[in-house]
Amino acid sequence: MSFRTFFLSLFASFGVAWLAIIVVPYFKMRSIEPLSMGEDAIGTDAVFIPKRAGRITDGAEVYAENGCYLCHSQLIRPTYAGNDLFRPDWAGLAADEDRGDTRRETNAYDYAGEDFAQIGIMRMGPDLSNLGRRVEALYSKNISPEEWLYRHLYNPRWKPERRLSTCPSFRFLFNETQLTGNPSDEALPFAGKNGGEISPKPEARALVSYLLSLKKDQAVPDSLNFAPITPAPAEQAAPAVPAKPADAPAEEAPAP
Amino acid sequence: MSTDKITSNEQDAQLRAGIDRSLRHPVMFFLTSGAAWLAVSIILGIVSSAKMHSPEFLDSCSWLTYGRTQAAHLNALIYGWGFQAAFGLVIWLMARLSRQECRVAGIILTAGHIWNLGVSAGIIGILAGHGTGMPWMEFPSFAWPVLLLSYFAIVIWSFIQFQVRPAGHVYISQWYLMAAMIWFPWVYITANVLLHIVPGNPVMAAGINAWYKSSLIFLFFTPIALGVAFYLTPKVSGRPIRSYSLAKTGFWSLAVIMPWAGMQKLTGAPIPYFIPYLGAGATVLFFIPAFTAAMNLLRTAFADSEAVSNSPTLRFTMAGIVGLIVMAFAAVFLNLPGSTLKLSQFSMSGYGFEVLALYAFFSLVMFGGIYFIVPRITQREWLSRRLIKMHFFFSIYGIVTVAIVAIFGGIQQGIGQEAFDQPWTSAALRAYPYAWAITIAWCFILFSNLFFFLHLTVMWLRLGRRSTHPTLLVASHGHSPHGAEGDIDNSGTVSAH
Repeated sequence: MSFRTFFLSLFASFGVAWLAIIVVPYFKMRSIEPLSMGEDAIGTDAVFIPKRAGRITDGAEVYAENGCYLCHSQLIRPTYAGNDLFRPDWAGLAADEDRGDTRRETNAYDYAGEDFAQIGIMRMGPDLSNLGRRVEALYSKNISPEEWLYRHLYNPRWKPERRLSTCPSFRFLFNETQLTGNPSDEALPFAGKNGGEISPKPEARALVSYLLSLKKDQAVPDSLNFAPITPAPAEQAAPAVPAKPADAPAEEAPAP
Repeated sequence: MSTDKITSNEQDAQLRAGIDRSLRHPVMFFLTSGAAWLAVSIILGIVSSAKMHSPEFLDSCSWLTYGRTQAAHLNALIYGWGFQAAFGLVIWLMARLSRQECRVAGIILTAGHIWNLGVSAGIIGILAGHGTGMPWMEFPSFAWPVLLLSYFAIVIWSFIQFQVRPAGHVYISQWYLMAAMIWFPWVYITANVLLHIVPGNPVMAAGINAWYKSSLIFLFFTPIALGVAFYLTPKVSGRPIRSYSLAKTGFWSLAVIMPWAGMQKLTGAPIPYFIPYLGAGATVLFFIPAFTAAMNLLRTAFADSEAVSNSPTLRFTMAGIVGLIVMAFAAVFLNLPGSTLKLSQFSMSGYGFEVLALYAFFSLVMFGGIYFIVPRITQREWLSRRLIKMHFFFSIYGIVTVAIVAIFGGIQQGIGQEAFDQPWTSAALRAYPYAWAITIAWCFILFSNLFFFLHLTVMWLRLGRRSTHPTLLVASHGHSPHGAEGDIDNSGTVSAH
């Protein structure tokens, strides 16, 4: 076999795969079509606009730089690929006071505003797809969600029930300043090494803002909504936004 | 024996010695700096895996946080050790097989230094908190053009040597090495251009990253290691490849199947459905190129099992081939869509498989190559068989542990993750014992590589033994198990046997 034939065969065997799974899908997915929400009650056809609020770009940068993706995923797989959807708080909340069951799998719009989807490679910690909503609705009882996340980042093991967490402490995202006068509003309830006051650096603010933007509570078009069908009201298929979910007692997923 | 024959043998030996001499500095530079990066990577690996079970370990400064040390650990292993070991072996093997002396050792050496600068800056960048957050591509974005250019400056001469070689048969090792040298820049440019320059859909970007990781394993490290093994095994055992046509089949099956692999790591992500299935299928089919090559090489070498136990080169190479078999088994076992893929997708088995590929297979074959090449280019023999034995056994202990973690730990952890009616903590706790096992495994590997690095440095300083007998792993010098390559003329005189 001559070098020419060798090279051409190599070119063909690699090039086909390269075109089929890399180049064509990549450029096709650069512009995904806007999705219709379906006709609403008035008869207008609205377009689905993914909503995310927060400092997504610089928060995602802090997330990437500190390697959060090495232990946390951001992907809710459909049921053929895993059981992520059934965990009561990962894929949305199974029992959300405002919206009922918001659980759904990840769609292509969920990473809006990011350059690189931090799908993750390993789950040493839980999936973060719905972390923002989880912190708001479940974790932060008497404090703001931001405050809860600051405390968690400063010391992931500060709550007794989280003493087994292996999440690293991100103390380096916080300042320690000597207290002169009244404590700041943002001061954490921890004492620093030198007895100073602990407050978040800009990186910690960006990261927390980004983490709180990870939510699965926006109503999505029917074509994207594969949330587990709740058994109670079987007849309510038509409206895109369910009027009032009357399904709280019929939850199939047990409490954590 | 006719005088003709003696003259041609003498010329041949002189040519070989000339090639070895011309490449002495670049090859030794790549091997020693690669070994130094290996040590750096292992230390970072120990630090980061210790943090997986003891999160308070060294957590006071941002440089040593898990997310940075783990990324730096893998990048140092890949670009610091893996690539440089590959460069050292590729430029030497291509020169030997094309029978051309290297005339540009200075340029290669300079490019090698630039490569090292790029890797150092990249690792410092990651530790300082400027990583890109894309697995295996964490180097800050300034690094990739530097690495790419120095890559071309290092390997382009091997293509030129191939073009001007004396006409004749092209050996299977050359196929593997040439293919790897063509695939790597193609994969590297594709991934870096698409992810750094042409922003697209973030999910597809993650898919390309997964494909990049897989391609680096299957289309760079695998063919390099197989090319080296197909050279060393017949050379040391003194026998031709058992079935040459099978070797060709193995090569082309690798070329056709493996470019499709990788995106099974995105199963369930919002990308076109066929892509993850193709990825899983291709990864499972890795057993075809792997088993054809492995069986061929094992049957070639084990026709004389004494040679395998005596020769350090052959022993390391065959251990690497056994690593290849385990890796192929793991590729099948961990990637079955619908059964094990969902368990392994987000578990330790991903990391375990990578270490299996990079260390149990690739690195062990590279060690085999290094034990073969270094005496020839330094004209000294390895100083101590005990150091070689220590290196071998501790490497094996370490890597067996990693394999167990990859295969069983990953599945255990996955089963915990899938149990959605249990609290998350119970899934996380399942990983603890395996996290400990990884720390212990890296400690073994570090220990083994201390011996290796020490030995290699001694050889670089030309403090090796002046002898014509290769250092073997048995005490007696009865007969040399080295075949035709036993005559390595360390004393400098050219003799024909």
